[in-house]
Amino acid sequence: MADLTLVIGNKQFSSWSLRPWIALKQIGLPFREVLVRLRRPETKAEILNYSPSGKVPYLIDGALGIWDSLAILEYLNELKPEAELWPADRSARAVARAVSAEMHSGFAALRQHLGMDLKREPARGEWPSEAAADIERVQSIWAECRGRFGGHGPFLFGKFTAADAMYAPVVTRFHRYGVPLDPRLAAYRDAVLALPAMREWTEAAQREP
Amino acid sequence: MPARTLVIGNKAYSSWSLRGWLALKQTGLPFDEILIPLDRPESPAALARYSPSLRVPVLIDGDLRIWETIAIIEHLAELVPEAGLWPRDRTSRAHARAIAAEMHTGFAQLRRDLPMDLKRAPAPRAYPDPVAEEIRRVETIWAECRVAKPTGGPFLFGAFCGADAMFAPVATRLRSYAVPISAVSADYCDALFDHPPMRDWVAAGRAEPWIIEYPRP
Repeated sequence: MADLTLVIGNKQFSSWSLRPWIALKQIGLPFREVLVRLRRPETKAEILNYSPSGKVPYLIDGALGIWDSLAILEYLNELKPEAELWPADRSARAVARAVSAEMHSGFAALRQHLGMDLKREPARGEWPSEAAADIERVQSIWAECRGRFGGHGPFLFGKFTAADAMYAPVVTRFHRYGVPLDPRLAAYRDAVLALPAMREWTEAAQREP
Repeated sequence: MPARTLVIGNKAYSSWSLRGWLALKQTGLPFDEILIPLDRPESPAALARYSPSLRVPVLIDGDLRIWETIAIIEHLAELVPEAGLWPRDRTSRAHARAIAAEMHTGFAQLRRDLPMDLKRAPAPRAYPDPVAEEIRRVETIWAECRVAKPTGGPFLFGAFCGADAMFAPVATRLRSYAVPISAVSADYCDALFDHPPMRDWVAAGRAEPWIIEYPRP
């Protein structure tokens, strides 16, 4: 039996931490949570206490430590294959990994100008054209996944998958910065926001000092 | 006619293409190659025919188009598990994926200031501290794998795997810009340059007619 600990940053801001956390919750694997407050003088030393890579999120399973959200998601998929954290169909799975990897390495302008902030009151924000281009690309990814693979549920590939975990922080950004979405994509956004795990994370973020 | 096609950029410059290509070679699957010279007026239109994100590489497998190198490697690892694109041992596999993912999303300064350029005659270039820090991190990653003395070969986890494909372009940068590195790192870079598919790619890249002049940092 796995003995899992997830080291994360503040829930208000740490979009990378949210991704494996919500995946763990969705597949129902129990885990301990260690939260390190970011952007403080002692942050680096505290992270190094747990994570020799100096990075969060960091998953500890016994003697094994894994950094990077995408690598953690792959590990969780192997720990509990029956949870189908990646879609069961090979084509859908390949596309799910592609859109997840694109999120993993891209969208710098979106991340810079619409930073995840779960204490922000939802209101229309402003952003430069590079961020607008990122937003359009996300919308086209969501529309394509929902259109091609989303028939059997409200998520990108029908059921909740790792791709939804990867885009969950983007969902909160679109919500908090009032990014206009067509009704199909708004329904997807709302499905993610309505997840019990998403609500639990958001409530905890709003209680942070 | 092979069932698969890999769409890549110029071999001299496209580090992402090299990663996907090395992984595909490792599977032994036959494939066609479509090479799109990058950084030319017609490049965006040519890319748009194949790549939803306008980036390379893209693997075309029947009706399926897979972009993003990491996703291509995962797909190939599933298609041909015996190719060993990920280590068999679960702990090593998790470690390999962590460093591959770190390469996928990180090392931005190194990639910007010391771009892959297989046509460059090896010569030093000055670089700022953040690049030096990223090079130290690369060497730490390699040392953590190599000092564990993996059996079965000279690569990060012994035999060539997806993590080696991810780091192969970094080895070319260290060599092209004559970066001083540890003996462990140098041995590992030599192993990558001796890897037969890598030799083929480097030779092809040097023979290409196209030149891209990067702005000097």
